[in-house]
Amino acid sequence: MPLNMNLGDNLNPSPTSEDWIIEVSGLVNQFGANRVHDGLDFKLARGRVCALVGGSGTGKTVLLHTLIMLRQANAGSLKLFGIETNDASEQTRQSLRERIGVLFQGGALFTSLTVLENVLLPIKEHGQFDPHWLKDLGMSKILLAGLPADSAHKYPMELSGGMVKRAALARALALDPELLVLDEPTSGLDPIGAAAFDDLIRTLSNTLGLTVLQATHDLDSIWRGVDEVAFLGRKKMLAVGTAMALAQREEPELQAYFRGARSQAFWLAAKADPVPIHSRDRPSASNLRTS
Amino acid sequence: MPPSVRWIEPEGQSTRAERSLVLMGAWTVHQLHEVPRVTLPDKPAKPHTIFLQSEMTAFDSSAALVLARWLSQWRAAGLTVDVSALSLRERDLLALLDARLVDDTPLPVRARSPVARLGQAVVAQWTEAQQFLAFLGELVWRGGPLLLFFWRIRWRAVIAEIDAAGVRALGIVGLLSFMIGMVMAYQGGATLASYGANVLIVNLVGIITLRELGPLLAAIIVAGRTGSSYTAQLGTMRITEEIDALRALGLPPFELLVFPKVIALVIALPLLSMFADVMGLLGGAVVANYGYGVSFSVYFERIPQVVNLTTLWLGLIKTPVFAIVIALIGCMQGLRVRGSAAEVGHATTISVVQAIFMVIVIDAVFSVLYNLMGY
Repeated sequence: MPLNMNLGDNLNPSPTSEDWIIEVSGLVNQFGANRVHDGLDFKLARGRVCALVGGSGTGKTVLLHTLIMLRQANAGSLKLFGIETNDASEQTRQSLRERIGVLFQGGALFTSLTVLENVLLPIKEHGQFDPHWLKDLGMSKILLAGLPADSAHKYPMELSGGMVKRAALARALALDPELLVLDEPTSGLDPIGAAAFDDLIRTLSNTLGLTVLQATHDLDSIWRGVDEVAFLGRKKMLAVGTAMALAQREEPELQAYFRGARSQAFWLAAKADPVPIHSRDRPSASNLRTS
Repeated sequence: MPPSVRWIEPEGQSTRAERSLVLMGAWTVHQLHEVPRVTLPDKPAKPHTIFLQSEMTAFDSSAALVLARWLSQWRAAGLTVDVSALSLRERDLLALLDARLVDDTPLPVRARSPVARLGQAVVAQWTEAQQFLAFLGELVWRGGPLLLFFWRIRWRAVIAEIDAAGVRALGIVGLLSFMIGMVMAYQGGATLASYGANVLIVNLVGIITLRELGPLLAAIIVAGRTGSSYTAQLGTMRITEEIDALRALGLPPFELLVFPKVIALVIALPLLSMFADVMGLLGGAVVANYGYGVSFSVYFERIPQVVNLTTLWLGLIKTPVFAIVIALIGCMQGLRVRGSAAEVGHATTISVVQAIFMVIVIDAVFSVLYNLMGY
């Protein structure tokens, strides 16, 4: 069953043992003599929004590329949706890839296609959606990603940076993925645009039951926008938890990251008011008119 | 199970104007190969309220779009739709999509008549010609002063370009000229031999090679080989914003990128043409010797008698003009690239076609001029 039907009634369920979307254990990634990950373990439960953080060069993008099977790890096991990928056939791996939506750092929109064509490409290639409804479907994804309708027929070069990210998100959402992987989705956006993007991800995650993993440097997202933060350090996943919890840990890397100069304001604010902002203004349940 | 719908008839002789529509199966982007058709019951039994009920095994945002679209259509037809029987998540999803419906009136497609397209093509060509002239003007305007202060020319870049465009092209230019020289000797020789005028092969090959084929062949090869690479290089630099970076650093791209290329080709192409001349004559000599009994010694003795230095100059004078045109078209097309990767490929094609076209046109103009001048 592609979607968990009960999610709407319980937005952040405590995961059961079968409900891990990502399970990584003993992961090793190595470039020549340089070991980027050495025995990394990580689990992500269905329906969670997780931020992947760590200093520059700690291998966030490498980890994301491994998780979406663009890169074969040197050692270790990777289970996606409960399926071990290492000994899976190419066909299985392909079908797993179709269940993952990816937003690359620079958007990676196909420059020779319009936004609408970009969004429709995966649907046409992988789905078998009713052709009469295709355009309508593509438009709905574009609006869902928060783009105005008239941007559908524009080419990527005619879009601003923020719009490129949104268009790439629309393409990532095209096949209703269960897992959304975002590489620095808010980098290069202005603070208002970044906050709107965070809200959008949160809304989509709640309504579509998406699991989201995003590599990010955005302190606002880390402290307020996500359910949990996974911290990469010492070539391992050093700690996973809320930003608040990680800030109270002893490790010097975590102290520096979560209580250092730039993070301090967030740390103090969070200490004073520990309720995450997103759980206060969670999108209301059904407001669909019945008349 | 594929998605489907089913009406539930009201029990007994209900007076209430309502019907239930049950949605069944997996409503997902992968399963909706064909969206089920819902025909609303006819007038007498026309319901005023439609109760939506769900027996769906899966429901994603693509299916929610279909439902949202139906709902808006039914509401527009004056019906009431009750979704309270759906699960919270299904209603949330429906609400999310419902708030984002657009008018499904198709965007107007600009249909263009053949006349309009012809007009656009003409205007496009005209603009292109204007741009070329403007670019030529820029070369004279900025390049002229540079030639006076020749120590400011980036000679290092010029040397590198001469190496890439000239030295590395020696092999292919030499081989092709040699073979064209052979072909000419064969074709001309057959006719000349039937008059017993075998020795005139030297006139034929000598004059045609030096005046036309040597320079033309070299120019065409350089246009295909070097002009295209100029376009690809500058086009990619535009996309990666390197050209903008140069400008921002106060380094004029024209002086840094375009001018060295022009200078390099103006130096390299005449030399390449001379090399092509020599190889063409050699090719002719081989065929004349082995095919038509004109020995090497006779062949090379006759060359200075039938072709004078003027013939050589008439051919070589054209080559700097070819070089300027090839370099300018290559650079201009590259600098015009906007935005996408596909544009670079497109610009490269245009650059090669235009450069070869212009080379042949200029060659024809020179022939007419020479004729008028009596050469």
